[in-house]
Amino acid sequence: MEDPLYREIILEHWQNPQNYGTIKSPDFKIEGSNPTCGDKITITVKIGAGKISDIKFTSEGCAISKASASLLTEKVKGMKLKDVRKLTEISALKALPIEITPARHNCALLMFRTIKEKL
Amino acid sequence: MLYKKDFPIFKNNKQMVYLDSAATSQKPQVVVDAVNDFYTKNNSNIHRGLYDLAQRAEDLYEGTRKKVAEFINADSKNEIIFTGNTTESINLVTLRYFEKVLKKGDIVVISEMEHHSNIVPWLRLKEKLDIKIYYIPVTKDFLLDFDKLLKAGLDFKKVKLISLTHASNVLGTINPLEEIIPKLKSKFPNAKVLIDAAQSIPHIKVDVVNLQCDFLAFSSHKMFGPSGLGVLWAKTKLLNDMDPLFLGGHMIETVTKQKATFASSPQKFEAGTGKLEAVVGLGAAIDYINSLNIKNVQKYEDKLTKYALSKLPKIKNVQFYGSLSPKYRLPVFSFNIGSVHPHDASEILNRKQISVRAGHHCNQVLMEILNSPSGTIRASLSIYNTIDDIDKLIEGINMVKKIFKN
Repeated sequence: MEDPLYREIILEHWQNPQNYGTIKSPDFKIEGSNPTCGDKITITVKIGAGKISDIKFTSEGCAISKASASLLTEKVKGMKLKDVRKLTEISALKALPIEITPARHNCALLMFRTIKEKL
Repeated sequence: MLYKKDFPIFKNNKQMVYLDSAATSQKPQVVVDAVNDFYTKNNSNIHRGLYDLAQRAEDLYEGTRKKVAEFINADSKNEIIFTGNTTESINLVTLRYFEKVLKKGDIVVISEMEHHSNIVPWLRLKEKLDIKIYYIPVTKDFLLDFDKLLKAGLDFKKVKLISLTHASNVLGTINPLEEIIPKLKSKFPNAKVLIDAAQSIPHIKVDVVNLQCDFLAFSSHKMFGPSGLGVLWAKTKLLNDMDPLFLGGHMIETVTKQKATFASSPQKFEAGTGKLEAVVGLGAAIDYINSLNIKNVQKYEDKLTKYALSKLPKIKNVQFYGSLSPKYRLPVFSFNIGSVHPHDASEILNRKQISVRAGHHCNQVLMEILNSPSGTIRASLSIYNTIDDIDKLIEGINMVKKIFKN
């Protein structure tokens, strides 16, 4: 049975999130939260030559927030900082393989908003 | 089906399985009609209107006050204060009674199963007055451990307030307050007792004489009435000791350029024009509950509770949070499904038009005790629910399990 939102790819990233964990000596560490649903995220980032050379996250939250964080860390890893700064929330949502309903935007964008705030 | 037909929302949402009555109840046609009638036949401001229409509006408004007083067995209708909701009622008591009487080192007793509305206002007084807050713990069986309180070695003279929920909005536990309050009062003779009846009042008899409490707070919208309206009941003597919170129209006795004197209760606590149509609607809601007889409501809901308890906790991989005994219980069921986040489960249930609430339910303290930081899924039932609704919920839970392979 495949659900329109909880598609295989989302469930895969929920159960086996990519870039999950903590970088030992990061250039910066940021925490974000989503008070309406209690989701929390901690992101560690390593910068090299103006790029995100490594990024890892740990989180507590729903499948959408964890899978989105996994997918979006994959997207920004290796990107130039100036390009990451240019990303909009709309483009972040578009980068996800599923349509996110407005009620779940806060979940899907938790990682993105947290890192944008720092950059 | 007996009661469902009274609620027009189900005619307009035929497939909907509404399991969120602890958040707000649906409204029977008689309440919708009362609000509609008020605006189409009787709308006028109340107090001091010397014409027929104003008198009719006033009779309806003050008539509800009398109905509320009778409904909870209060001494006088003047002990019934209309507020915005339960939260506002508790805040009024906090700000206008306890902020004045509590001193540094005094103890306020609450419990680990309180809604934030009965925690956060006391936390403010803790900051401001340096009082202490004692939490009655929740046992493994999801009941309050009153023995722990009695044996906690608190300085009994310092306990100035015991403020408890009549029933938990997460666990469904009904606290046996009628039995325990006399014991607590004899152990802590200086303590006033405040009861949060927001959850209990649509389900069981709430009687301030039997409860032996000093303050009682509840909301209209959880008992089939309109939203935006709450009630505070307190003993007359306590209301006399309380200053009004808001000042202005309706609540004065005389006003000169230099000084104002205030009316007595309830007017002094109801500054400005009130929620006229909501009050009238609450009157209709009370008539509706009285017409059903709360004992029949309880009997019917007990059937739902027994059925749900025979099924939900037994589903594989479902963690159930609440007493398994139908005694002292509301039809409110909290659970989690495997490692699935409650919000994800709720989204899947919604595919089957099952409306549940997911999250911490304004009970973060309790979520910590339950070791459930993401919260729970909560299915809360009322008289318009049926056994069929519980079966549909179970189907929905199985669908969640399938999708998330849990």
